[in-house]
Amino acid sequence: MAVTRFPLGILLHGCVRSVLQQGSWNFERMQNLGFIYQLLPGLRRIYGPTLPAEVLQRHTEYFNTHPYMATWVAGTVLRLEEKQAAGEAVPLDAAAFRSMVMAPYAAMGDALFWGGLRPLAAVAALLLAIHGEMWAPLLLLVMFNVPHLVCRCSGWLLGYRQELASAELLQRLRLPDAAIWLKEATIVLLGILCALLAARGCEHQELAPFWGLILLPVILFFAWLSRRGVTSFSLVVLITASLLGLALIF
Amino acid sequence: MTAAYLTTGVLSVLLGLDRVAVLQCMVSRPLVAASLTGWLLGVPLAGFEAGMLLELLWLGRLPVGAVVPPDDTQVAIGATALALTLERLLGLHGMPSVILCVLTAIPLGKIGQYADTRARRFNNRLAELASAAAAAGNARRIERLHLCGLGSFALAGLFTCTAIVAGGTLLLLPLAPLLVGAVRETGLSLQYSFTMIGAAALLGTLNVSRGLFLFGAAFIATLLVIGLR
Repeated sequence: MAVTRFPLGILLHGCVRSVLQQGSWNFERMQNLGFIYQLLPGLRRIYGPTLPAEVLQRHTEYFNTHPYMATWVAGTVLRLEEKQAAGEAVPLDAAAFRSMVMAPYAAMGDALFWGGLRPLAAVAALLLAIHGEMWAPLLLLVMFNVPHLVCRCSGWLLGYRQELASAELLQRLRLPDAAIWLKEATIVLLGILCALLAARGCEHQELAPFWGLILLPVILFFAWLSRRGVTSFSLVVLITASLLGLALIF
Repeated sequence: MTAAYLTTGVLSVLLGLDRVAVLQCMVSRPLVAASLTGWLLGVPLAGFEAGMLLELLWLGRLPVGAVVPPDDTQVAIGATALALTLERLLGLHGMPSVILCVLTAIPLGKIGQYADTRARRFNNRLAELASAAAAAGNARRIERLHLCGLGSFALAGLFTCTAIVAGGTLLLLPLAPLLVGAVRETGLSLQYSFTMIGAAALLGTLNVSRGLFLFGAAFIATLLVIGLR
């Protein structure tokens, strides 16, 4: 039986369903139901309205990756499933591919989106916000969601069309390097943000901005504490209690 | 006030879903969530300020694997609703009032972690039922079970927000008039300390080899530019 390619509508349907990838996130199998949920329109196209139990069981196994990268896995899995159903030889079956790539894709997505892009967008928006720009939240949304949506949508299409080669494509994109650049840019913006606040504080106390340098070791000390496991909540309690105590005493 | 609390409830569900279960387009970030809440409740500045104070605090806590970070979305929404309550019932407004609301909402936000964990545990049951449905070849049931998971996350968000607003109101109505003066006395120190602590926490979690150098250089260069201007 010849392998036919899906119409774009089916792929888009799966892509739209990917927004619910984590809809039933659970500790035991994590995103398994979200994964099969986005595959089902395609699987129905391959196997008909009544799906074989073994196909459903195959795709309700444990699954966990970064939610935006799940579309890359789903696109390829669907293509492999299509070929397998047509009796065509595949170098790697769909379930094996899914198990093999979910962890590396998760690592890439977590570093790029959670560790890199999200802090960068937030700090850039805060830089605007401290100047009273009420549209700062929009900047955060745009900065984050353009790459997010591109990744989500292109994942389905490229995963399906390029099959196993989509993994090589992701490798060529050097996403871990991009994550490091984003983190470095975030740190630079954080430095600027803290300095602006320090200078404002000095101005409020009628001091020269250079006095703000005193805050640098304080922030670095807090960063060290944070790295040692002291939570932001503990630091907020400590600082608030100290400042309110001083205000009440004096 | 009833309409305002209903709006808060609806927002806690919608924005709370964005946090884990639906799309994750970051409308659940405190800066966005609090601003939107403030705008819809008629206290846009209070919402914007609450969002600014909270944005960085838990930004470094990544939602990776089985980690359940503190629910800063509900803290932001709840703090904004509390700011509205103080304004309407006590006539308190401005940054000191917002700071008090945020300080009250932060510890109550721990409830969010508990509620989120409970929602995910409830979903374990859905995964088990889905396995049985898969064995029976029932794809429709798997789809329905998956969508049921949204309900547990929605309830968790609503529960957390309700707890923050109710608990915060009970605490703040007697205490806010006593504390707001002391908060005002701290000037900008307390206000900026939230961002500084958040920045430090983020700096501590961003694992970049020359991170401290980049931060220090940017900090000093910015102060120099401002000082020499």
